[in-house]
Amino acid sequence: MSTSTLEVFLLVLTLYSLLATAGVSIYGIVARPSIAKKIISLTILGDALNVLAIFIGFRVYSVPPVLLGFDADVDLMEFARTAVDPLPQALVLTAIVIGLAVNLFLVFLALQVYRLYGTLDTRRTRELRG
Amino acid sequence: MRRHIVLVSIVLSVSALAYATTYLGALGPLGFDTRLLAKLFLVYAYNPGAPELTVMSPEAVTSIVWDFRGVDTLYETVVFYMAIVAALAIYRGIGYSSSGVRGAGLSLIVRVVTKILIPMNVAIAVSIAAHGHLTPGGGFQAGAALAVVSVLLAVVFSALSFGKLGVSLARAVALRSAGLLTIAAVVLAPVAFGVATGIRGFLMQNYVKLDSPLAFPTHVSGQLISGTLIWLNLAEFFAVSFGFFVIFMLLSLREDVVREQLGEEHEH
Amino acid sequence: MDITLLLMAFFSSIGLVFAYLAVVERDLVKAIIFSAVQSSAYAAMLYLLRAPDIVLVYLPVAVGLYPAALLFLVGKTEKEDGE
Repeated sequence: MSTSTLEVFLLVLTLYSLLATAGVSIYGIVARPSIAKKIISLTILGDALNVLAIFIGFRVYSVPPVLLGFDADVDLMEFARTAVDPLPQALVLTAIVIGLAVNLFLVFLALQVYRLYGTLDTRRTRELRG
Repeated sequence: MRRHIVLVSIVLSVSALAYATTYLGALGPLGFDTRLLAKLFLVYAYNPGAPELTVMSPEAVTSIVWDFRGVDTLYETVVFYMAIVAALAIYRGIGYSSSGVRGAGLSLIVRVVTKILIPMNVAIAVSIAAHGHLTPGGGFQAGAALAVVSVLLAVVFSALSFGKLGVSLARAVALRSAGLLTIAAVVLAPVAFGVATGIRGFLMQNYVKLDSPLAFPTHVSGQLISGTLIWLNLAEFFAVSFGFFVIFMLLSLREDVVREQLGEEHEH
Repeated sequence: MDITLLLMAFFSSIGLVFAYLAVVERDLVKAIIFSAVQSSAYAAMLYLLRAPDIVLVYLPVAVGLYPAALLFLVGKTEKEDGE
């Protein structure tokens, strides 16, 4: 299939936006003092990497990986040729739900930190520990 | 002001990098060919012509989640289970009583609209779970959709409404465990049947294999149910949605009541 | 030329801008709202990427449950990202 340079440019732009979002969120996790802000950044990092995984399985001019009209005599080879890659989608599907459960656990941990130290600022919890 | 300069420079550098890689050709072709593995999954997801390889579900994603790579999903369900157990462990010894919950919720208009929306939300969640093997959807999606109901209940009607609806903390944990036990039962059923009858059966077996004739029923009165897929989707729906119910019930508890019950060490 | 690619580049840029705003914003409630806008842009993007399964799970999780849980956290603790 012939591809125009503009199409490639738009794909590459999407790719770099996702990578830059991941970079920005890593900055948030490392550099911001508040634990709540760290959790927000962590959710953004998870989102960016999940979309990146789906993006890797994407094909231009394609259909979703769901077979329609399966009772009729469908052309499976044609379906396999035009559908996007379902494997990254299956992996990301579970990753999103597991990520939510783990991040909610982090929210509980942050609440517990606030109960014990009275603050969510990591610079102050570090002083209070000693 | 400094913030805007940083933002503009990030956007500009991303565009410049994209321009450079496109027009100077740093990357090969992107997004134009399907991998061989993807083609295999797509062809064998629903393929009555190859019964020992197919899942009998036209939904390729659900086929991968619960059959082709079903053991992965099983372990991820275990991770999900452990995360919720860990959250419960932090709140150990806290009773979910009416004293632990806050006021009357939001205004009458919001409450009436939410009362109309919640049954629709539940219906959509059940539909997503039950049609997961035919159309986009499945246990995880339905569980996330139903979890929204728990947030609506906690925010709009106050956490007291869980008790009025008969969803106690112990009952939510029990329903989640029932979902997990159903998954275990479906996974072990072919092996148990195989041991009982002397036929070879595998863990998580869905349809006939080359050396095992065991198969879950794929059609019920003409309707495609794709063997194990519908049962696993419904069980996962219960496990995920009531897992999140537990979490949001605990999150909506009043902070001073939680501190009182957790003990002296939590005063600061 | 497929309009999908243009929209995809647009939504991913929106996601980048709002992710940056969410990370640098000092008011945590505003940061959560920026993060929800970023999630909405990504949900649109996932639809364009032909992933209806993921849209179904991502919309309630990232636009509904994450902001709710984080607002519960912020409501019980501090409203500001310290300095």
